[in-house]
Amino acid sequence: MTSSPQSPPFQRTRRSTNNIMLQVVAGCIPGISIATWYFGYGVLLNVLLSIVFALCFEALAISLRSRHIQTTLADNSALVTAVLFGLTIPPGLPWWLLFLGIGFAILIAKHIYGGLGQNPFNPAMCGYLFLLLSFPSAMTSWHIPNDALSSVQEFAPTSLSGLQQSLHLTFPFLSHNTLNPIEFIDGLAMATPLIESKMAGTSKLLTAWQTDQSLFARSSETAWELVNIGYFLGGAFLLFQRVISWHIPVAIITTVMTISILFYSPGGYAIYGTPYLHLFGSATMIGAFFIATDPVSAATTNKGKLVYGVIIGLSIYGVRAWGSYLDSIAIAVLLGNFLAPLLDHFLRPRIYGHKKGVLGPSDMGGGSNKVIDS
Amino acid sequence: MRFAEKIIESLCVSTRQPMPGGIKPPDYKQETLRSRLMPTPIPEELILPLAQHGNSRSRPLVKPGDKVLKYQAIACSDVTGIVDLHAPTSGIVLAIENFPIPSPVDKESKCILLKKDGLDAEIDHNTLANYRSLSYLELIKLIEQAGIFGLGGAEYPSRLKLKSGKNKKIKLLIINAVECEPYITADEALLREKAQFVVQGAEILQAACMAEHCVIVIESNKADAIKALEQTQLNSSIELFKIAAKYPTGSEKQLIQAVTSKEVPSGKYPTDIGILMHNAGTAYAVYQAVIEGKPCISRITTLAGGSLKTPKNFEALIGTPIDYLLNLCGLNQQTHTMTLMGGPLMGVKLARTDVPILKTTNCIIAASEDKFPPASIELACIRCGFCADVCPASLLPQQLYLYAKCQNFSELISHGLNDCIECGACAYVCPSNIPLIQYYRASKDELASQLENKISSEQWKQRFQHHQYRVKKDKEARRDPKRRETIKPTELTLKISPPIFSREAAKKEIAAAVVRVRKRKAQFIASSGGENTETDK
Repeated sequence: MTSSPQSPPFQRTRRSTNNIMLQVVAGCIPGISIATWYFGYGVLLNVLLSIVFALCFEALAISLRSRHIQTTLADNSALVTAVLFGLTIPPGLPWWLLFLGIGFAILIAKHIYGGLGQNPFNPAMCGYLFLLLSFPSAMTSWHIPNDALSSVQEFAPTSLSGLQQSLHLTFPFLSHNTLNPIEFIDGLAMATPLIESKMAGTSKLLTAWQTDQSLFARSSETAWELVNIGYFLGGAFLLFQRVISWHIPVAIITTVMTISILFYSPGGYAIYGTPYLHLFGSATMIGAFFIATDPVSAATTNKGKLVYGVIIGLSIYGVRAWGSYLDSIAIAVLLGNFLAPLLDHFLRPRIYGHKKGVLGPSDMGGGSNKVIDS
Repeated sequence: MRFAEKIIESLCVSTRQPMPGGIKPPDYKQETLRSRLMPTPIPEELILPLAQHGNSRSRPLVKPGDKVLKYQAIACSDVTGIVDLHAPTSGIVLAIENFPIPSPVDKESKCILLKKDGLDAEIDHNTLANYRSLSYLELIKLIEQAGIFGLGGAEYPSRLKLKSGKNKKIKLLIINAVECEPYITADEALLREKAQFVVQGAEILQAACMAEHCVIVIESNKADAIKALEQTQLNSSIELFKIAAKYPTGSEKQLIQAVTSKEVPSGKYPTDIGILMHNAGTAYAVYQAVIEGKPCISRITTLAGGSLKTPKNFEALIGTPIDYLLNLCGLNQQTHTMTLMGGPLMGVKLARTDVPILKTTNCIIAASEDKFPPASIELACIRCGFCADVCPASLLPQQLYLYAKCQNFSELISHGLNDCIECGACAYVCPSNIPLIQYYRASKDELASQLENKISSEQWKQRFQHHQYRVKKDKEARRDPKRRETIKPTELTLKISPPIFSREAAKKEIAAAVVRVRKRKAQFIASSGGENTETDK
């Protein structure tokens, strides 16, 4: 640890993996804040609970695998998984659902395969799908504090009543006999605006703007679009910091946009939804910038990343338009994960001095191995 | 072969982008460029290693106790691939024994220990006014006698490089003045102060390899060196080519790509596409050898690093102990953590500092902890792909790492491990601090030894089969005394050494031999009737 490195290069950049992970979390902050502002403390609570559970599970897994707990925990990878997982879970879900989901993500989707860097599938999405398949109804209802939904009542986002409601929903045993949790539960059958409108509605932001409502009037209707803008800004930050490369997000967004334009029919039933809503009315932005770009499970070559993005974009739209699940990001990303090794195998960059990227046994001779400054 | 030709053809036609990838590390070059280039005082004792690259060693021409003069040849090369050694100063040979040599491990090798007499008396040497009167063979001969090899670090004798160009038509001679590694300013200092000699050296090299064109390539940010070059090469046909500073453009293959947009096909040499490259330091040494008649006894070395009070460039004699030079620059023992030979990205960490400067030593770095922090812990690879973005050979270091760890050699070859130039750009950017180069070197060594084993086991197998075949033939011949006379020796040797051994083939062969013998026996019996009963007994 304290000795100087033994092999070149002796000079290195100061950039480290744990910093990169922290930057990803930082990129999520605008989205998290907007979501908390509109959907109440439940969102933040989900994220925080996931982090606590994830770190515990990670520590358990590391100690079971007899690795050094401090250094492995410090890579912050569990943190990123927890934040992304927490954000996909509807607020107001009981704590044990979060516990189960993140436990599946960390223990089964990640550590069984060998921990960070070895998992073939995105752990957060594995945990999410595990919950979605096991508890479909719970996973598709967003329990939002009453106040946030009522347009009559003034809803103060920082008020403690919102937090109290979220806590009661998340920890049902806290509510004794004084309050019936049902009272708070709106039972909103609205995973995303997709369910409500099948993508056929108009932009709520635009409507709000046209009807002279305040854009930040804390109406949960405009929230989705604003949350997506938040993730878009966070994603732009990651791109600017070069934490992620442009290939995957650009490929996904372009594909979703193109295909939704192709199928958009304004005059007809419009069952396939507007391109705008496909991009900003759902989870496309967090998917494109934060989830699909998980480098471990994504394709790793640049050409591979582009194809990977196109595949995810197509399946996002396909599952939404023709499938029975509406939250299509997780399914699309997992499909991409399945194909990533194949893409990496065939779509390699052309190597210097060769005509191709994939070399056969006949190329074994290779070049002279040393850099020759002549 | 036809495929290879196609590659070359396509390379000549297509124009490709300049070097992909690359990094721009902070270069810390200014501190060593402040002072002028200075000759070093001569140390009391010089250590001159006989071993050159690999295991080849030159043969000493002197004995302990001999007096030698400056420029006198003291060791000669019997093997191709190494060069002669000359005395850097006059003095007495104290010993020819094992002394420590520059190495990451504590390693000793046979060296000539020369004690100076302080006179610095020179042996007679001829100067030459006009090299143009000489043929290229005579020029190469002069370069050979001066003991010059590529001063950029390849340790490949310049004469062989020039000769290899003779058979192929050289279109372009590139003088490489691109020092892309941080800290090193040896070539820059050389060009700044001795540009006219480098240009003359380049002209001699051009004449020696009969190249049609010659360019000096330099990074565009080396303003002083460029100015000096522009002033001197006014009446020369040599062109100046400026490229953007990026590591590792100074590497041979990458520089060819940056200058000509051509790539050297894998497994080939630059001469195969009509290009020859020499280092600027080599050009200067060639000038000294041909015009001044002085063999290569010194080189320009950068002494840099945070632990030196006055980092600078020296024209140091070959064999000068490194700690002697470090002390001349005011080494701060407290902050000194390690010593590097070569640059910080491709250099070697020295196990000890009482080792000599070699002809290839372009830089010595006395590292301090602020610029060279202790190694951080190696974390898991997250396949972020930063390494692939900077790889100048367009490899996928993250995949190579994966396959190197699980020793999947066929995938390593398929991913182009042999095209890795070990520049270290991937490890430089790796956020998980993975010593990638270490993994690649280990895999390359393993691959090489596997190949060696394969070849040698193939040879042993053939020898064994050979042996078995002989034994069998002997037996057959003994069983059949008449036959012994009829077998011609050539017939035996022709049938020996089946190319590939397989059990079926061997069985068939044995069966065929048995049938043959029976047939002959039957013929023999038939032809001679019952007369052979005696012999059968």
